[in-house]
Amino acid sequence: MAHQAHAYHMVDPSPWPLTGAVAALLMTSGLAIWMHFHTTTLMSLGLVLLLLTMYQWWRDIIREGTFQGHHTPPVQKGLRYGMILFITSEVFFFLGFFWAFYHSSLAPTPELGGCWPPTGITTLNPFEVPLLNTAVLLASGVTVTWAHHSIMEGQRKQAIQSLTLTILLGFYFTALQAMEYYEAPFTIADGVYGSTFFVATGFHGLHVIIGSTFLAICLLRQAQYHFTSDHHFGFEAAAWYWHFVDVVWLFLYISIYWWGS
Amino acid sequence: MFRTMNAVQQMARRSICSSARRQVENKVPQKQKVFQEDNGMPVHLKGGSSDALLYRATMALTVLGVGFTLYELVKASFPQKKD
Repeated sequence: MAHQAHAYHMVDPSPWPLTGAVAALLMTSGLAIWMHFHTTTLMSLGLVLLLLTMYQWWRDIIREGTFQGHHTPPVQKGLRYGMILFITSEVFFFLGFFWAFYHSSLAPTPELGGCWPPTGITTLNPFEVPLLNTAVLLASGVTVTWAHHSIMEGQRKQAIQSLTLTILLGFYFTALQAMEYYEAPFTIADGVYGSTFFVATGFHGLHVIIGSTFLAICLLRQAQYHFTSDHHFGFEAAAWYWHFVDVVWLFLYISIYWWGS
Repeated sequence: MFRTMNAVQQMARRSICSSARRQVENKVPQKQKVFQEDNGMPVHLKGGSSDALLYRATMALTVLGVGFTLYELVKASFPQKKD
């Protein structure tokens, strides 16, 4: 068997970039077709293809790292850079929505009544469910750190318990936020207040769901002995993403829920 | 008497252990053997026949999807007859 004289990972040819690109094509065209002709077939096909691509691509990465040993220290370093750069790009994504919020709220137009919150908007009490949500996410930040230390110390059962608790807290946040959305006295169509509120908190909620899913995959992998005490980058990436989601919420809470009320 | 008590205690412990929790076996060494086998298979097919099935289904959807997209886009490019 030919052996490489370097520590880097020359990947096997893979079909997933192609299927992923086609999924993007189907989802975008499908979105346009849905808007004009009211059929969701194309978009749904794209979504299914996206899910299949994600499952198989990430399954292959786990095979390459955990089963084939390709994730040497320099390769892991590259993966770390990659995750950090991705999270940075997400920070800029949210920055845009915060920009929109501050643009409208720092100088409220006469159409809004010249005030923020705009005339006629009943804001949510920041010291009720939003405060509970803040506590829930902060607690989940503690439990995910506990899980990390458990993994590093080789404490298998504790790692599973703390990771499970983190995921449950994530689900609790999502459930509370869904209830808040249902009970809110304003909608996304209620002027710029409604738009900035629901788009910013909505994208945040989506990221909570993504983060919880990532952590759930890590829980399955931890249960299947994939992580060792000094090599568990998949978990670290999930934990970084989870802390990012927590920090975005803190900014949302202080800006939109508290200052904006 | 103590020997019987010990035996009962041991039996009780053993049955509680096996019924209260399924033990997850460490299958990583097996997986490592399968995926490090020198059979020239690319990683996305190296797991066996279920890999090939899933790959074929995904590729079929990909090809069909491109075709369907082109059809819908061409259809949308022409004026629609309104009744």
